Amino acid sequence: MCGVMQTRPNICPWQVMSRRVRGIASLLGLASMLVMSGLGPSSVRGAVTNAANPLPMLANTTASLTNGAAVDDPAEAAKDSLGERGSYNFSDMGPWIWDTNTFDRQTVRFWKSFVIPSGTNVLRSRLRITADNEYILYLDGRELGRDAEWRHLYEYDITALLGPGPHVLAVEAYNSSREAGFVLGMRVGLASGQVITISSDTSWLIVPNDLSGWEKRVEPDDSWRPATFMAKFGEGPWGVNQEYIDLVPPLEPVIIPFWQTSWFEILLLVIFGGVCLVSFSLATQVLLHQKEQALLQRERARIARDIHDDLGTRVTQLVLQGEVAQTGLPAGSKTHGQLERISEEARETLQAMDEILWAINPRRDNLHEFATFVCGHAKTFLRSTAIQCLLDVEPAMSAVAFDLPFRRSLLLAVKEAINNAAKHSGATELLLQIRRQGHGITVAVQDNGRGFDPAQPRAERNGLDNMIQRLNEVGGSCRITSQPGRGCRVEFHIPVIQMRRRPWWAHWPFGRQLNPPPQRPPATSQN
Amino acid sequence: MNKTAKTTPPVKAAASAPLKIALVEDQPKVREDWSQLINSLPDLACICTCKTGEEAIRVIPEVQPDVVLMDIFLPRMSGIECVSRLKALMPQLRIIILTAMNDEELVFMALEAGADGYLLKRTKPADLRAALLDVLNGGAPMTSEIARRVVESFRLKARTRDESLHLSVREEQILLLLSKGYANKIIADRLEISVDTVCHHLKHVFEKLHVSSRTEAVVRYMASKATLSQ
Repeated sequence: MCGVMQTRPNICPWQVMSRRVRGIASLLGLASMLVMSGLGPSSVRGAVTNAANPLPMLANTTASLTNGAAVDDPAEAAKDSLGERGSYNFSDMGPWIWDTNTFDRQTVRFWKSFVIPSGTNVLRSRLRITADNEYILYLDGRELGRDAEWRHLYEYDITALLGPGPHVLAVEAYNSSREAGFVLGMRVGLASGQVITISSDTSWLIVPNDLSGWEKRVEPDDSWRPATFMAKFGEGPWGVNQEYIDLVPPLEPVIIPFWQTSWFEILLLVIFGGVCLVSFSLATQVLLHQKEQALLQRERARIARDIHDDLGTRVTQLVLQGEVAQTGLPAGSKTHGQLERISEEARETLQAMDEILWAINPRRDNLHEFATFVCGHAKTFLRSTAIQCLLDVEPAMSAVAFDLPFRRSLLLAVKEAINNAAKHSGATELLLQIRRQGHGITVAVQDNGRGFDPAQPRAERNGLDNMIQRLNEVGGSCRITSQPGRGCRVEFHIPVIQMRRRPWWAHWPFGRQLNPPPQRPPATSQN
Repeated sequence: MNKTAKTTPPVKAAASAPLKIALVEDQPKVREDWSQLINSLPDLACICTCKTGEEAIRVIPEVQPDVVLMDIFLPRMSGIECVSRLKALMPQLRIIILTAMNDEELVFMALEAGADGYLLKRTKPADLRAALLDVLNGGAPMTSEIARRVVESFRLKARTRDESLHLSVREEQILLLLSKGYANKIIADRLEISVDTVCHHLKHVFEKLHVSSRTEAVVRYMASKATLSQ
């Protein structure tokens, strides 16, 4: 009769599989934890535990027992060894117990603590349980299994779970209708030869249903009532012996892999928090930097406006007053000459201010403005010479940003080149070419003058060399091509120009925003 | 072309009567200096000064000056708006915008609004006189930059406006040469026309520009002012 029963190997394929599932689930949990900041470790653990505890009843083996076996046969009882699973020796089973009252759809929680003496090992431990109609079995707060057929006995091998020390058995039973009862028998064989028997009896305590975490409680509460005896095992409404013993595969202690331990989760949290903090601080820095840049731009605009509105107006008035003062004086007189010089000086100041204004005004930080200014400068500069200034400027450059350091260096270099051409080339025509090349800009100054041999050192090149060096500092380059008698071409190139800082959608649907003209400040007092 | 020539006011003979000049400037001291300076120049007479744009619109049609010198920054009504309104009242009136600092954007807006020219306030008296006479004779101030902007401005409008406001082929040719830095004389040589014809074409370009963008320029100026004061 025992032949039909199998001794199950300790590790069966589903367990191996379940371990793998467990591992994968844990890794998934890890990943999800890293990805989703919203998920705390608790939810991850929840996912892992579900995977780690496949329901034992899925793998149950149902062994049928031959009817008519003498349950009380002492010989049989003696033969019953704890190692033999599925034995139909029921001597260790306690009576059916329940709460004082019985009603339909009733949940009753049973609680019992026991102690495994220290200094010895548990050799075998068998627990059999069933309930009319359902049960959930907990040992030390861990759910071991659940089922819902009172005609079966469910046999658990909990050898591996019982170490020396106090333990708690907790059972939640449920009665769907009419008679209700719960029955349990547990035998623990110790290495010392001692056998501990725990069975369902009136020493079990009934735990109130509204108590949470009750299955983990190690101490009973004084208010908990004892259970009520219903009938002896094999009697009462459940008179017939249980026909089947369902063997639950041996349970093993839950080994929590290191990545599921709380310290690891805390560590992860800390790392995650650290990463969050670092990113946050970086983002803040970037924001601050952007704000700083915006402030700088605003400040530049303000200074430009002040120069334009205040200084510009005042110096202009100076010029005007000088001119007016001259009108009353005979031309050629000493004072007239002095006043004329004052006016002239003031005019030059204004011209210098024009250039400074251009440099500091953030509105001018684009290629279009650069081209405009360079052309204007070339025209003005060459007006007093015999050189005809020709321009070749690529249209539609306005959308490209061209920041101050670049445009200033390039402007100085171009100015120097124009100056050299005016002074030394003897040309009649000068071509100023401004072209975009990819993200870069190329400015060429070409004259039709006498040219020179680039290999020959020349004194007047010093200024240009300085400018080339300055240009190199911002990543630009310069190429001079010339032959004696065939003019000279100086080509400046700045390779990378930042594209416009404002994204395209900032312009939609208004198109390019026009630069606002500066405004005069509230009328300055004239007295 | 002949039609345009007819609408041009007769050029004042420098010797017969002085040029009548009106000045719109809000700062009293500057106003005084300017009128003194203008009166000190031969053949020029400052016949009227206005403190605000509103005053200018009221007074100037009555006194009928030949040229108006208009400050760009005026309280309440801006110089640009004032130009646009005056031009609507008196299309023959020549208006020159005065600015303290060189600001192409502003100048172009003024030109679009209907100004016939612009001068930096720091301009030497002799050049001022030349510029005034020049504007009166129909010469338009065309730097290469302004020429480029004019071409751009017309291209932007090309699809939306009626045919009569488009640039003619010759006008565009002249503007493109101007934008490349050629002087009127050289353009005339290249196109085998007279310098006068070049000037004539340019004047026509300006008339078209004024008609097509006067209100726009004012609206844009107001908008930019609004963004600035935020």
